[in-house]
Amino acid sequence: MKKVAVIGDPDFTIGFRLVGIRDVYDVTNDEELVNAVRDVLSRDDIGIVVIRYDDLKKLPVMLRREIDERVEPTFVAVGGMGSVEELREKIRKAIGVDLWK
Amino acid sequence: MSVVKVQPTRMELIKLRRRIKMAKRGHSLLKMKRDGLIMEFRELLEEAKKVIGGMAEKYEKAMQKLALAMAVDGVVAVKSIAMARQCEPKFVMHKKNIMGVVVPVIKREEKIVRCVVEREYGVLGTTARIDEAVEAFEQLVDAILEVAEIETTIRRLIEEIEKTKRRVNALEYRVIPSMEEACKFIAFKLEEMDRENIIRLKKLKSKKAKQEA
Repeated sequence: MKKVAVIGDPDFTIGFRLVGIRDVYDVTNDEELVNAVRDVLSRDDIGIVVIRYDDLKKLPVMLRREIDERVEPTFVAVGGMGSVEELREKIRKAIGVDLWK
Repeated sequence: MSVVKVQPTRMELIKLRRRIKMAKRGHSLLKMKRDGLIMEFRELLEEAKKVIGGMAEKYEKAMQKLALAMAVDGVVAVKSIAMARQCEPKFVMHKKNIMGVVVPVIKREEKIVRCVVEREYGVLGTTARIDEAVEAFEQLVDAILEVAEIETTIRRLIEEIEKTKRRVNALEYRVIPSMEEACKFIAFKLEEMDRENIIRLKKLKSKKAKQEA
């Protein structure tokens, strides 16, 4: 049984608290953000981590690489079209044509 | 483009031929893997577009509803509802292997979107705005679970496709041609040495014939 965790500022996380998610990390600055992500990575009962795309961008490169390589937990970036653009660019690079849309 | 420095010996030639054969086999295998990965990817892409687009939409909607609820009913009311919620969304995660790419598969144990009366707080004590915000977020989390699976899969596939493609191209345009070049070089050199030998023998023979005469 895996659970969902949420990392973000209080305004972002309150909505997920409404659904009943208990593993919520309220972060207010970058340092807390990094610590929260490290903590989540070390836990094994978390399956999905919800995080703002802007916050994900702020993480140090090494940590982001680790996130990319891990299957559990899987990070989902929400908010804005940033993650979609990133994915699109990746597809364009790998396949050679823009298959998105 | 003879980058490979080789000794023109028969042994070396045999070794090279063996390596070329192996490289060609590896190349065709990798090519098949690449095509297979791209096929998997194409199948998933349409669904991914829909799911990810849907999630972005739901996120916007949920945030709007939440802002409204917080503005009208106050932060405290929303927070107290958040405290009351008991059931966490839970799911089971498996790992699936698509041609060497490990991807997550998520199975939901119970439905996340619930009816108003199934929620843990009293319906009478709250306003419709909060109910709507909660519902919007339930839908959002539902969508997030779906996105988590499909987006990670797509991402992994893309990375693997790129890697495989690079390998295929390196073999096709770099490794195999340079080895073939070296192979040709050795074959030519050996022939040349053969011819030299024959001439030498002929010369010796004619010298001997002259001496005997």
